[in-house]
Amino acid sequence: MSGKIRLNTDWLCDCGGCHVAIVDLHEKILNVLESIEILHCPVMTDVKDYPEAEIGILTGSIRTEHDKHAAEEMRKKCKTIIAFGTCAVYGGLHGAGLAHSREEIMDHVFKKSPTTTTDTIPTVEVTELAKTVTPIDEVIDVDLYLPGCPPHAHFIFESLKTLIENREPRVTQDSVCARCNRQMIKGDAKELKNSLDGVPDEKFCFLSQGYMCLGSATLDRCLAPCPNHGVACTGCAGPTMQILTEPYRDIRTEVSDRMARLTAIDADTIKTYMEKTAKTQYAYAMATKMIGNKPTFLIKKWIADVEAG
Amino acid sequence: MLEMEIRDKACRGCRFCVDICPTDALAFDDETQKAVIKEVEDCIECLSCGFICPSGAIAHKNHHVVKNFYRNLYFSRRMEKFL
Repeated sequence: MSGKIRLNTDWLCDCGGCHVAIVDLHEKILNVLESIEILHCPVMTDVKDYPEAEIGILTGSIRTEHDKHAAEEMRKKCKTIIAFGTCAVYGGLHGAGLAHSREEIMDHVFKKSPTTTTDTIPTVEVTELAKTVTPIDEVIDVDLYLPGCPPHAHFIFESLKTLIENREPRVTQDSVCARCNRQMIKGDAKELKNSLDGVPDEKFCFLSQGYMCLGSATLDRCLAPCPNHGVACTGCAGPTMQILTEPYRDIRTEVSDRMARLTAIDADTIKTYMEKTAKTQYAYAMATKMIGNKPTFLIKKWIADVEAG
Repeated sequence: MLEMEIRDKACRGCRFCVDICPTDALAFDDETQKAVIKEVEDCIECLSCGFICPSGAIAHKNHHVVKNFYRNLYFSRRMEKFL
Protein backbone atom coordinates (compact mmCIF):
# COMPACT_ATOMS: atom_id res chain seq x y z
CA MET A 1 0.00 0.00 0.00
CA SER A 2 3.03 2.31 0.07
CA GLY A 3 3.13 5.33 -2.23
CA LYS A 4 -0.54 6.02 -1.71
CA ILE A 5 -1.85 9.20 -0.12
CA ARG A 6 -3.17 8.43 3.37
CA LEU A 7 -6.63 9.72 4.29
CA ASN A 8 -8.30 10.01 7.68
CA THR A 9 -11.92 11.01 8.01
CA ASP A 10 -13.86 11.70 11.18
CA TRP A 11 -17.40 12.49 11.99
CA LEU A 12 -18.21 15.12 14.59
CA CYS A 13 -21.63 16.61 15.33
CA ASP A 14 -23.55 15.90 12.11
CA CYS A 15 -26.03 13.52 10.51
CA GLY A 16 -23.47 11.30 8.79
CA GLY A 17 -24.69 12.32 5.33
CA CYS A 18 -21.27 13.65 4.35
CA HIS A 19 -19.71 10.23 4.81
CA VAL A 20 -22.51 8.73 2.73
CA ALA A 21 -21.75 11.38 0.09
CA ILE A 22 -18.20 10.02 -0.20
CA VAL A 23 -19.71 6.61 -0.97
CA ASP A 24 -21.90 8.40 -3.55
CA LEU A 25 -18.79 8.62 -5.70
CA HIS A 26 -20.00 5.17 -6.84
CA GLU A 27 -17.59 3.63 -9.36
CA LYS A 28 -15.38 6.68 -9.15
CA ILE A 29 -14.41 5.65 -5.63
CA LEU A 30 -12.32 2.92 -7.29
CA ASN A 31 -10.32 5.62 -9.13
CA VAL A 32 -9.87 7.42 -5.81
CA LEU A 33 -8.73 4.24 -4.06
CA GLU A 34 -6.00 3.75 -6.68
CA SER A 35 -4.21 6.76 -5.19
CA ILE A 36 -5.64 6.99 -1.68
CA GLU A 37 -5.47 4.69 1.31
CA ILE A 38 -8.25 5.19 3.85
CA LEU A 39 -7.01 4.74 7.42
CA HIS A 40 -9.39 6.18 10.03
CA CYS A 41 -12.99 6.28 8.85
CA PRO A 42 -15.75 5.62 11.39
CA VAL A 43 -18.11 3.99 8.90
CA MET A 44 -15.54 1.87 7.13
CA THR A 45 -12.50 0.97 9.23
CA ASP A 46 -12.26 -0.21 12.81
CA VAL A 47 -9.48 2.18 13.77
CA LYS A 48 -9.99 4.02 17.04
CA ASP A 49 -6.78 6.08 17.16
CA TYR A 50 -5.63 8.64 14.65
CA PRO A 51 -2.82 7.41 12.35
CA GLU A 52 -0.52 9.89 10.57
CA ALA A 53 -2.07 10.96 7.24
CA GLU A 54 -1.67 13.48 4.44
CA ILE A 55 -5.37 14.39 4.16
CA GLY A 56 -7.89 14.67 6.98
CA ILE A 57 -11.58 15.10 6.21
CA LEU A 58 -13.65 16.43 9.11
CA THR A 59 -17.42 16.49 8.82
CA GLY A 60 -19.75 18.07 11.34
CA SER A 61 -19.31 20.85 13.85
CA ILE A 62 -18.24 20.85 17.47
CA ARG A 63 -20.87 20.38 20.14
CA THR A 64 -19.34 17.95 22.65
CA GLU A 65 -15.99 17.38 24.36
CA HIS A 66 -15.53 14.32 22.12
CA ASP A 67 -15.94 16.45 18.96
CA LYS A 68 -13.30 18.88 20.21
CA HIS A 69 -10.90 16.07 21.09
CA ALA A 70 -11.37 14.37 17.70
CA ALA A 71 -10.80 17.64 15.81
CA GLU A 72 -7.62 18.38 17.76
CA GLU A 73 -6.25 14.85 17.25
CA MET A 74 -7.00 15.02 13.52
CA ARG A 75 -5.19 18.36 13.31
CA LYS A 76 -2.11 16.88 15.01
CA LYS A 77 -1.96 13.86 12.70
CA CYS A 78 -3.09 15.20 9.30
CA LYS A 79 -1.12 17.57 7.07
CA THR A 80 -4.15 19.01 5.29
CA ILE A 81 -7.47 19.36 7.07
CA ILE A 82 -10.59 19.75 4.94
CA ALA A 83 -13.70 21.17 6.60
CA PHE A 84 -16.11 18.98 4.67
CA GLY A 85 -19.78 19.84 4.40
CA THR A 86 -21.84 22.77 5.62
CA CYS A 87 -21.73 21.73 9.31
CA ALA A 88 -17.94 21.75 9.33
CA VAL A 89 -17.67 25.02 7.41
CA TYR A 90 -20.53 27.09 8.85
CA GLY A 91 -21.90 25.11 11.80
CA GLY A 92 -24.70 23.70 9.70
CA LEU A 93 -28.30 22.99 10.42
CA HIS A 94 -27.82 22.34 14.12
CA GLY A 95 -26.13 25.76 14.26
CA ALA A 96 -29.73 26.91 14.53
CA GLY A 97 -29.46 25.52 18.07
CA LEU A 98 -27.82 28.87 18.83
CA ALA A 99 -31.29 30.31 18.93
CA HIS A 100 -32.09 28.19 22.00
CA SER A 101 -30.38 27.47 25.30
CA ARG A 102 -28.75 24.11 25.97
CA GLU A 103 -31.40 23.37 28.61
CA GLU A 104 -34.25 24.07 26.18
CA ILE A 105 -32.72 21.68 23.64
CA MET A 106 -32.08 18.89 26.16
CA ASP A 107 -35.60 19.25 27.59
CA HIS A 108 -37.21 19.18 24.19
CA VAL A 109 -35.28 16.17 22.93
CA PHE A 110 -35.08 13.97 26.01
CA LYS A 111 -37.93 15.03 28.29
CA LYS A 112 -40.81 16.71 26.49
CA SER A 113 -40.48 15.11 23.10
CA PRO A 114 -43.95 14.06 21.92
CA THR A 115 -42.55 10.83 20.49
CA THR A 116 -40.74 9.48 23.57
CA THR A 117 -41.94 8.46 26.99
CA THR A 118 -38.59 8.48 28.79
CA ASP A 119 -37.56 11.24 31.11
CA THR A 120 -33.79 10.82 31.41
CA ILE A 121 -30.95 12.88 30.09
CA PRO A 122 -28.12 10.54 29.00
CA THR A 123 -25.00 10.79 31.14
CA VAL A 124 -23.13 7.55 30.45
CA GLU A 125 -20.63 7.11 27.58
CA VAL A 126 -21.52 10.42 25.97
CA THR A 127 -19.82 13.69 26.71
CA GLU A 128 -21.86 16.66 27.80
CA LEU A 129 -23.49 18.91 25.23
CA ALA A 130 -21.43 22.10 24.89
CA LYS A 131 -23.09 25.43 25.46
CA THR A 132 -23.11 26.38 21.78
CA VAL A 133 -22.33 24.97 18.35
CA THR A 134 -18.82 25.84 17.13
CA PRO A 135 -17.69 25.57 13.51
CA ILE A 136 -14.40 23.62 13.50
CA ASP A 137 -12.26 26.54 12.31
CA GLU A 138 -12.79 28.25 15.66
CA VAL A 139 -11.11 25.31 17.41
CA ILE A 140 -8.42 24.18 14.96
CA ASP A 141 -6.76 25.59 11.82
CA VAL A 142 -8.53 24.47 8.68
CA ASP A 143 -6.66 24.26 5.36
CA LEU A 144 -9.54 23.84 2.93
CA TYR A 145 -13.30 24.36 3.01
CA LEU A 146 -15.79 22.35 1.00
CA PRO A 147 -19.34 23.46 1.82
CA GLY A 148 -22.42 21.51 0.70
CA CYS A 149 -25.07 19.50 2.51
CA PRO A 150 -23.61 17.18 1.51
CA PRO A 151 -21.26 18.37 -1.25
CA HIS A 152 -22.24 16.67 -4.53
CA ALA A 153 -19.97 13.77 -5.55
CA HIS A 154 -18.81 15.89 -8.51
CA PHE A 155 -17.17 18.37 -6.13
CA ILE A 156 -15.83 15.69 -3.78
CA PHE A 157 -14.15 13.92 -6.67
CA GLU A 158 -12.76 17.18 -8.05
CA SER A 159 -11.40 18.21 -4.65
CA LEU A 160 -9.72 14.86 -3.96
CA LYS A 161 -8.32 14.77 -7.52
CA THR A 162 -7.00 18.30 -7.08
CA LEU A 163 -5.12 17.26 -3.95
CA ILE A 164 -3.76 14.06 -5.53
CA GLU A 165 -2.64 15.81 -8.71
CA ASN A 166 -1.49 18.93 -6.85
CA ARG A 167 -3.26 21.40 -9.14
CA GLU A 168 -5.86 24.18 -9.00
CA PRO A 169 -9.49 22.98 -8.68
CA ARG A 170 -11.70 23.46 -11.75
CA VAL A 171 -14.86 24.74 -10.09
CA THR A 172 -16.95 27.89 -10.41
CA GLN A 173 -18.33 30.03 -7.63
CA ASP A 174 -21.75 30.19 -9.23
CA SER A 175 -24.96 30.21 -7.28
CA VAL A 176 -27.58 27.45 -7.44
CA CYS A 177 -29.46 29.51 -10.10
CA ALA A 178 -26.65 28.84 -12.57
CA ARG A 179 -27.51 25.12 -12.56
CA CYS A 180 -31.28 25.52 -12.31
CA ASN A 181 -33.31 25.08 -15.51
CA ARG A 182 -36.21 27.33 -14.50
CA GLN A 183 -36.61 30.60 -16.33
CA MET A 184 -36.60 33.81 -14.30
CA ILE A 185 -39.44 35.80 -15.80
CA LYS A 186 -41.02 38.95 -14.45
CA GLY A 187 -44.29 37.77 -13.00
CA ASP A 188 -47.18 39.52 -11.29
CA ALA A 189 -47.33 37.55 -8.01
CA LYS A 190 -48.76 39.79 -5.31
CA GLU A 191 -48.36 37.55 -2.30
CA LEU A 192 -45.61 35.47 -0.74
CA LYS A 193 -46.46 31.80 -0.84
CA ASN A 194 -45.02 28.77 0.89
CA SER A 195 -44.72 25.34 -0.62
CA LEU A 196 -48.11 24.23 0.72
CA ASP A 197 -49.98 27.08 -0.93
CA GLY A 198 -49.98 25.60 -4.43
CA VAL A 199 -47.97 23.86 -7.11
CA PRO A 200 -45.46 26.17 -8.78
CA ASP A 201 -45.12 26.02 -12.57
CA GLU A 202 -42.04 23.93 -13.30
CA LYS A 203 -40.90 26.11 -16.22
CA PHE A 204 -40.51 29.29 -14.23
CA CYS A 205 -38.42 30.49 -11.30
CA PHE A 206 -39.90 30.09 -7.81
CA LEU A 207 -39.21 33.75 -7.04
CA SER A 208 -41.14 34.87 -10.15
CA GLN A 209 -44.16 32.96 -8.81
CA GLY A 210 -43.94 34.35 -5.26
CA TYR A 211 -42.40 31.27 -3.63
CA MET A 212 -39.41 31.77 -1.34
CA CYS A 213 -36.26 30.19 -2.83
CA LEU A 214 -32.70 30.82 -1.63
CA GLY A 215 -31.02 29.62 -4.84
CA SER A 216 -29.69 33.06 -5.83
CA ALA A 217 -28.01 33.49 -2.43
CA THR A 218 -26.58 29.97 -2.20
CA LEU A 219 -23.29 28.59 -3.48
CA ASP A 220 -23.68 25.78 -6.00
CA ARG A 221 -22.05 22.73 -4.49
CA CYS A 222 -25.02 20.50 -5.32
CA LEU A 223 -25.74 20.86 -9.10
CA ALA A 224 -29.22 22.19 -8.17
CA PRO A 225 -31.22 18.95 -7.78
CA CYS A 226 -33.97 20.55 -5.66
CA PRO A 227 -35.21 23.40 -7.88
CA ASN A 228 -34.94 21.14 -10.94
CA HIS A 229 -37.27 18.67 -9.22
CA GLY A 230 -39.89 21.06 -7.93
CA VAL A 231 -38.48 21.92 -4.51
CA ALA A 232 -37.31 25.47 -3.73
CA CYS A 233 -33.70 25.90 -2.55
CA THR A 234 -33.28 26.06 1.23
CA GLY A 235 -29.70 27.28 1.06
CA CYS A 236 -28.03 24.15 2.39
CA ALA A 237 -24.59 24.79 0.86
CA GLY A 238 -24.36 28.14 2.61
CA PRO A 239 -24.15 31.67 1.22
CA THR A 240 -22.43 32.80 -2.00
CA MET A 241 -18.98 34.42 -1.97
CA GLN A 242 -20.69 37.75 -2.71
CA ILE A 243 -22.69 37.58 0.52
CA LEU A 244 -19.69 36.41 2.54
CA THR A 245 -17.37 39.18 1.33
CA GLU A 246 -19.76 42.12 1.57
CA PRO A 247 -20.63 43.04 5.16
CA TYR A 248 -23.87 44.78 4.19
CA ARG A 249 -25.07 42.07 1.82
CA ASP A 250 -27.03 39.35 3.46
CA ILE A 251 -29.20 36.37 2.49
CA ARG A 252 -32.35 38.39 3.10
CA THR A 253 -31.20 41.55 1.28
CA GLU A 254 -30.11 39.59 -1.80
CA VAL A 255 -33.20 37.43 -2.06
CA SER A 256 -35.68 40.21 -1.27
CA ASP A 257 -34.06 42.55 -3.83
CA ARG A 258 -34.23 39.96 -6.61
CA MET A 259 -37.70 38.71 -5.69
CA ALA A 260 -39.10 42.26 -5.60
CA ARG A 261 -37.78 42.81 -9.14
CA LEU A 262 -39.52 39.64 -10.35
CA THR A 263 -42.89 40.12 -8.63
CA ALA A 264 -45.31 42.81 -7.52
CA ILE A 265 -44.29 42.23 -3.88
CA ASP A 266 -42.52 45.02 -2.02
CA ALA A 267 -38.87 44.30 -1.08
CA ASP A 268 -39.49 45.34 2.55
CA THR A 269 -42.40 42.89 2.85
CA ILE A 270 -40.13 40.08 1.70
CA LYS A 271 -37.32 41.22 4.01
CA THR A 272 -39.65 41.33 7.01
CA TYR A 273 -40.97 37.87 6.16
CA MET A 274 -37.41 36.55 6.01
CA GLU A 275 -36.56 38.15 9.35
CA LYS A 276 -39.63 36.58 10.93
CA THR A 277 -38.62 33.19 9.56
CA ALA A 278 -34.89 33.77 10.13
CA LYS A 279 -34.31 30.43 11.82
CA THR A 280 -35.33 28.78 8.54
CA GLN A 281 -33.63 31.19 6.14
CA TYR A 282 -30.32 31.23 8.04
CA ALA A 283 -30.55 27.67 9.32
CA TYR A 284 -27.36 26.42 7.71
CA ALA A 285 -24.95 29.27 8.26
CA MET A 286 -26.09 30.80 11.53
CA ALA A 287 -23.30 29.56 13.79
CA THR A 288 -20.32 30.92 11.86
CA LYS A 289 -18.78 34.31 12.52
CA MET A 290 -18.55 34.76 8.74
CA ILE A 291 -22.29 35.50 8.98
CA GLY A 292 -22.59 36.21 12.70
CA ASN A 293 -20.15 39.16 12.54
CA LYS A 294 -22.18 40.95 9.89
CA PRO A 295 -23.60 44.24 11.17
CA THR A 296 -26.86 43.39 9.38
CA PHE A 297 -27.32 39.99 11.01
CA LEU A 298 -29.57 40.54 14.03
CA ILE A 299 -31.02 37.09 14.61
CA LYS A 300 -31.46 37.48 18.38
CA LYS A 301 -33.52 40.62 17.79
CA TRP A 302 -35.59 39.00 15.02
CA ILE A 303 -36.41 36.01 17.20
CA ALA A 304 -37.24 38.24 20.19
CA ASP A 305 -39.54 40.32 17.95
CA VAL A 306 -41.43 37.21 16.83
CA GLU A 307 -41.70 35.89 20.39
CA ALA A 308 -42.96 39.27 21.63
CA GLY A 309 -45.66 39.00 18.94
CA MET B 1 -8.93 46.18 -22.81
CA LEU B 2 -11.97 45.03 -20.86
CA GLU B 3 -13.32 41.59 -21.64
CA MET B 4 -16.81 40.55 -20.65
CA GLU B 5 -18.52 37.21 -20.87
CA ILE B 6 -22.07 36.00 -20.18
CA ARG B 7 -22.29 32.25 -19.84
CA ASP B 8 -25.46 31.24 -21.66
CA LYS B 9 -25.96 28.07 -19.69
CA ALA B 10 -25.96 29.92 -16.37
CA CYS B 11 -28.14 32.84 -17.58
CA ARG B 12 -31.71 32.50 -16.28
CA GLY B 13 -33.10 35.28 -18.46
CA CYS B 14 -34.17 37.57 -15.61
CA ARG B 15 -33.03 40.76 -17.42
CA PHE B 16 -31.69 42.25 -14.16
CA CYS B 17 -28.36 43.05 -15.86
CA VAL B 18 -30.05 44.69 -18.84
CA ASP B 19 -32.20 46.81 -16.50
CA ILE B 20 -29.38 47.86 -14.21
CA CYS B 21 -26.69 48.68 -16.80
CA PRO B 22 -26.27 52.49 -16.72
CA THR B 23 -24.81 52.66 -20.23
CA ASP B 24 -27.07 50.22 -22.04
CA ALA B 25 -24.17 47.93 -22.92
CA LEU B 26 -26.29 44.80 -22.57
CA ALA B 27 -29.35 43.60 -24.45
CA PHE B 28 -31.88 40.80 -24.22
CA ASP B 29 -32.17 38.19 -26.96
CA ASP B 30 -35.87 37.40 -27.26
CA GLU B 31 -35.24 34.25 -29.24
CA THR B 32 -32.92 32.55 -26.77
CA GLN B 33 -34.36 34.40 -23.73
CA LYS B 34 -30.83 35.17 -22.55
CA ALA B 35 -28.89 38.37 -21.93
CA VAL B 36 -26.24 39.29 -24.51
CA ILE B 37 -23.44 41.85 -24.69
CA LYS B 38 -24.51 44.60 -27.07
CA GLU B 39 -21.56 46.99 -26.96
CA VAL B 40 -18.64 46.09 -24.71
CA GLU B 41 -17.02 49.48 -25.50
CA ASP B 42 -19.91 51.16 -23.68
CA CYS B 43 -19.16 49.33 -20.43
CA ILE B 44 -17.87 51.64 -17.70
CA GLU B 45 -16.82 48.70 -15.49
CA CYS B 46 -19.20 49.46 -12.65
CA LEU B 47 -19.77 45.69 -12.30
CA SER B 48 -23.40 46.23 -11.28
CA CYS B 49 -24.51 43.53 -13.71
CA GLY B 50 -22.15 40.96 -12.22
CA PHE B 51 -23.32 41.94 -8.76
CA ILE B 52 -27.04 41.64 -9.42
CA CYS B 53 -26.85 38.50 -11.58
CA PRO B 54 -28.53 35.76 -9.50
CA SER B 55 -26.37 33.00 -10.94
CA GLY B 56 -22.96 34.63 -11.27
CA ALA B 57 -23.11 34.19 -15.06
CA ILE B 58 -21.37 37.48 -15.93
CA ALA B 59 -17.58 37.69 -15.75
CA HIS B 60 -15.34 40.69 -16.37
CA LYS B 61 -11.64 40.46 -17.12
CA ASN B 62 -8.95 43.18 -17.29
CA HIS B 63 -11.16 45.67 -15.48
CA HIS B 64 -10.07 48.43 -13.17
CA VAL B 65 -10.03 47.06 -9.62
CA VAL B 66 -11.21 49.31 -6.81
CA LYS B 67 -10.04 48.34 -3.34
CA ASN B 68 -12.91 47.98 -0.95
CA PHE B 69 -12.04 48.69 2.68
CA TYR B 70 -15.26 47.39 4.16
CA ARG B 71 -14.83 43.71 3.34
CA ASN B 72 -15.70 40.99 5.80
CA LEU B 73 -12.23 40.25 7.14
CA TYR B 74 -13.23 37.13 9.05
CA PHE B 75 -14.30 35.52 5.78
CA SER B 76 -11.67 37.14 3.55
CA ARG B 77 -8.86 35.52 5.52
CA ARG B 78 -10.41 32.14 4.68
CA MET B 79 -11.57 32.93 1.17
CA GLU B 80 -8.72 31.36 -0.79
CA LYS B 81 -9.22 28.06 1.02
CA PHE B 82 -12.77 27.61 -0.30
CA LEU B 83 -13.55 25.14 -3.04
